[in-house]
Amino acid sequence: MDTREWALLLFTILGQAAAGLMIVLMIVRTYIAGKADSALADRLTDRSLYMVVPMMALALFASLFHLGSPLHIVRAVPNIGSSWVSREVVIAVVFVAFAALYTFMQWRKTGGEGLRVVVGWIAAIMAAALVYAMGMVYMISTQPSWNTFATPVTFIVGSLLLGVLGMAVGLVAGYTANGNKNEGKATGLFQTILQGLAMTAIVLLGIEFLVLPIYMAYLASQGGAAMQSLGMMFTSYGTVLFFRLFILFAGAGVLAAYLYRNASVAEKEKTLATLTYSAFALALVGEALGRFLFYATHYRIGV
Amino acid sequence: MAKQLAFSIDLNKCSGCKACQVACKDKSSLPIGVRWRRVFQYEGGEWLNQNGQMVPSNVYAYSVSSACMHCVKPICMEVCPTSAISKRDDGIVLINADMCIGCRYCSWACPYGAPQFNEEQNVMTKCDMCFDLVDKGERPACVESCPYRAMDFGPLDELQAKYGTFADPAPLPDASITQPAVVYLPNKVTKSSGNADGRLMNLEEL
Repeated sequence: MDTREWALLLFTILGQAAAGLMIVLMIVRTYIAGKADSALADRLTDRSLYMVVPMMALALFASLFHLGSPLHIVRAVPNIGSSWVSREVVIAVVFVAFAALYTFMQWRKTGGEGLRVVVGWIAAIMAAALVYAMGMVYMISTQPSWNTFATPVTFIVGSLLLGVLGMAVGLVAGYTANGNKNEGKATGLFQTILQGLAMTAIVLLGIEFLVLPIYMAYLASQGGAAMQSLGMMFTSYGTVLFFRLFILFAGAGVLAAYLYRNASVAEKEKTLATLTYSAFALALVGEALGRFLFYATHYRIGV
Repeated sequence: MAKQLAFSIDLNKCSGCKACQVACKDKSSLPIGVRWRRVFQYEGGEWLNQNGQMVPSNVYAYSVSSACMHCVKPICMEVCPTSAISKRDDGIVLINADMCIGCRYCSWACPYGAPQFNEEQNVMTKCDMCFDLVDKGERPACVESCPYRAMDFGPLDELQAKYGTFADPAPLPDASITQPAVVYLPNKVTKSSGNADGRLMNLEEL
């Protein structure tokens, strides 16, 4: 794998983490606002929100290194009628613009409560569109290891997984920083949401572990270039595949399960923080290794 | 579309000498590593042990000269985000270097490996069917250079009338993917696309 595909790895992983986080954040925010009030919703979710734009900005910056002429990125727009790359670029820019606007409004608490929620949801919808477009970019009929159901599914699931654990990071960080200002209601919601996030992470992990063998069986049934890709996953990149699954399982499985069990123990804040940050870091590394395999093992049909 | 210009290659005559590939590099001043026209050496079959003697069984070898096929359905053009790739009225598919941003998406899509990155210009380049010569009524450099007169050039329907419609000898991909504007005249050992028992023998040259 050369530099330009490392650029795409960073772009897709960070972009999907940012998009997933934006979606999960709006769902969590809506839940808290319903159970309690907007002020509490802001207090518990704002720290997670501050992670979205930096991650997406970093993703877009990384994507430039994939181009022969990075300064001419704006020329990537015209073929929006038929090229998923054009659509991906446009949606990514619109997403980061709305996410930035929402972040600014939340930071300054300007623009009014209702408008802020609308802007936030637009950002979340653009985030969902971005993950979909990212998947469609790789649905090229001449790339059999990419052109399967597994590409959009793993992009969506991976994105939500990083979003869920990223959300937990911001939630724990915010809760810990608030210290003894957390009253009963905040603590109760904090625990419920953390448990919900941990459980969702485990479910998403389960989907990933279900999709992988189906995907591999599908590649095996296709033969040709698809079979060549499958072979690479077990020979040259067998170690990467093992660590990808092991690290992902450790982060989104084992640590998430501990997080679920310990979320209700209020005095264990430090443990919770360690668990959450580690789970997110491991999931990020696990997903990045998976994306590495995605780029390292594709074979185009033909010559 | 008025007409679709195309190449044809007679695999009975081709010896795999690569004069076409060299003429192409010379005419278009291609840098090291960029080969708009490539010649694939495809071989298969085996040697069997009969009473201690190795005898050939179905051993075959042939060469396939291939470049951009200026496809009827150019997948490169479909996926290019910049619209830098266009198809002229005469079917020639061109990359506009001023519009290309070098994202290399076309090279992921094209099953003929035709679009190749030029490290000096930071853009994708590919066979332009020597459109400058064609516009003057001449023929592409590769066609003119073939010492065996194995290559021909002209409107696709005329070439098909002359040589048939076979467009996908192994190791080339199935012609239904992009509908390449090419005709190959098979020789007696030529396999069709998707053939599994042969392999490319000159990978280091491609």
